[in-house]
Amino acid sequence: MNTQAIGILFLKDLFLSRRHLFAYFAAGMVSSVLTCIPDSTVSFVGFLLMITVAIAAGIHLIGTLLLGESLGQTRMFVMSLPVSLLDYSLGKIAVVLTTYLVPWTAMLVCCTICTFVLPWAKHGSAIVLPLVFLFLLCGFTIQLVTAVVTESLGWTICVMVAGNVLLNVFLMKVMSLPEIVAAKQSDVLMWPPIVVQILVVESLIIIGGLTAALFFQTRKRDLI
Amino acid sequence: MSTVLDHSAQTGLAASLKNVSKSYKHFQLKQIDLELQRGTVVGLIGPNGAGKSTTMRILMGLVNPDSGSVSALGKPISSREAAAKQEIGFFSDDMRLYQPESIGWHMQFVRSLYPTWDDQYAHELLDRFGLIERQAVKGLSQGQRVKSMLLLVLARRPQLLVLDEPTNGLDPVAKHEVLTELMSVVKDESRTILYSSHNTQDVEQISDQIIFIDRGRVIAADDRDVFLERWKRIKLHVPDGWRSPSVAGLKLESEFKQLRVFSLNQFQPEVPARLAASGATVEAVESMTLEEIFISTVMRGREEAGL
Repeated sequence: MNTQAIGILFLKDLFLSRRHLFAYFAAGMVSSVLTCIPDSTVSFVGFLLMITVAIAAGIHLIGTLLLGESLGQTRMFVMSLPVSLLDYSLGKIAVVLTTYLVPWTAMLVCCTICTFVLPWAKHGSAIVLPLVFLFLLCGFTIQLVTAVVTESLGWTICVMVAGNVLLNVFLMKVMSLPEIVAAKQSDVLMWPPIVVQILVVESLIIIGGLTAALFFQTRKRDLI
Repeated sequence: MSTVLDHSAQTGLAASLKNVSKSYKHFQLKQIDLELQRGTVVGLIGPNGAGKSTTMRILMGLVNPDSGSVSALGKPISSREAAAKQEIGFFSDDMRLYQPESIGWHMQFVRSLYPTWDDQYAHELLDRFGLIERQAVKGLSQGQRVKSMLLLVLARRPQLLVLDEPTNGLDPVAKHEVLTELMSVVKDESRTILYSSHNTQDVEQISDQIIFIDRGRVIAADDRDVFLERWKRIKLHVPDGWRSPSVAGLKLESEFKQLRVFSLNQFQPEVPARLAASGATVEAVESMTLEEIFISTVMRGREEAGL
């Protein structure tokens, strides 16, 4: 493994995605601020926008940084340079994840701060944020695995659509659980066991997804 | 078919493929054996879909063979190895640069991966090729795109150049500029070039040695001059009932009334006399172009294989 080469590839992709990164960061910040406004309609629109930004950023970054290199035939240029498949894979998955985590983290942090700072927000409602954001990250990692395995934008979009449907089911089912309803209404932040269990499962899916993406990427026989 | 290319002035191998095979759904590369001696320019000629690009991609580790071994400059080649690529420059007509970024950005990116990058030479090439450093790739013509990629390859000063169809789609002037630059590269006798094309004129111009490939197999390989010396076209005027004597490599290409045109791939000075002794009048013994030799070789190979 050549850490210098991985670093150079990472910075190259970070530079190439700089405009998208800034756009998703800005859109994420705007939508999170809207979520915190004490008007149910505006706040709901803000929430929908936030979810949309997270989903759109995921599919777009996977499409441009991972699949775009294959479709645009720039992968052959990169792989003709002194980088191994492992260097390429590590650099690629790291940069796709990092660029996604920039708007993701910005939205999560912004909403969390608002929950604790704004006088009308109940501190207990903050438990919803990690549940929803880790679900979004789960969806992203599964899209990443799909993109790596199939190298198909079509299949990756299918997985994104399925993830979007599942998110709605998740919100409907999980948010109506009595323990979570009670915790949301509390002025004190509480972590009921069911919430911890869901967070653990989501974290395991994310770790599993990233490991699978790296595994399948490094096992590729032909790069072009 | 085993293909070992000798070059008296050289020592050591620049690259070798041993018994390399690769199967796709509709194409197979079959047991390719190649040894490229250091300091030679080897032309790989084949029709479209013959396996030239696959062979070169295997040599670069971009495609893993199903069987066989590959090494270049004394190091193993596979997608898991990067060491050899420090000294190999690869160009493919299918390769693309990042559209929104400039040539200068690409130069900086490649330089960061190559300690051997020669910045002065890179800027000389920019001038010689008429390229503008800050111009974005998306605005480049086909010729400028090819020249930009060759600049990025040549300025690393690689010991082995693997060039897949570098003159494809170039106008005559751009082609001349590219070939002239490649000729100047091979003045350094330690550097080796493997050059593929379906344009035999380009290959003939710069290659010391030629490999013909067709339908996934190497069908002939030798020094360029040996090809040109061994292959002749012989025109005969023959009497009625004339029967061709047994001459190795002699093949009838066409006939019209009493005129017969043969191609011969193992020409010896005594052959015209033998043909004359059989009763035929030798009208002409002509040299064949590399293109004609290539076509004859491919057609003979296909006939022998019953295709």
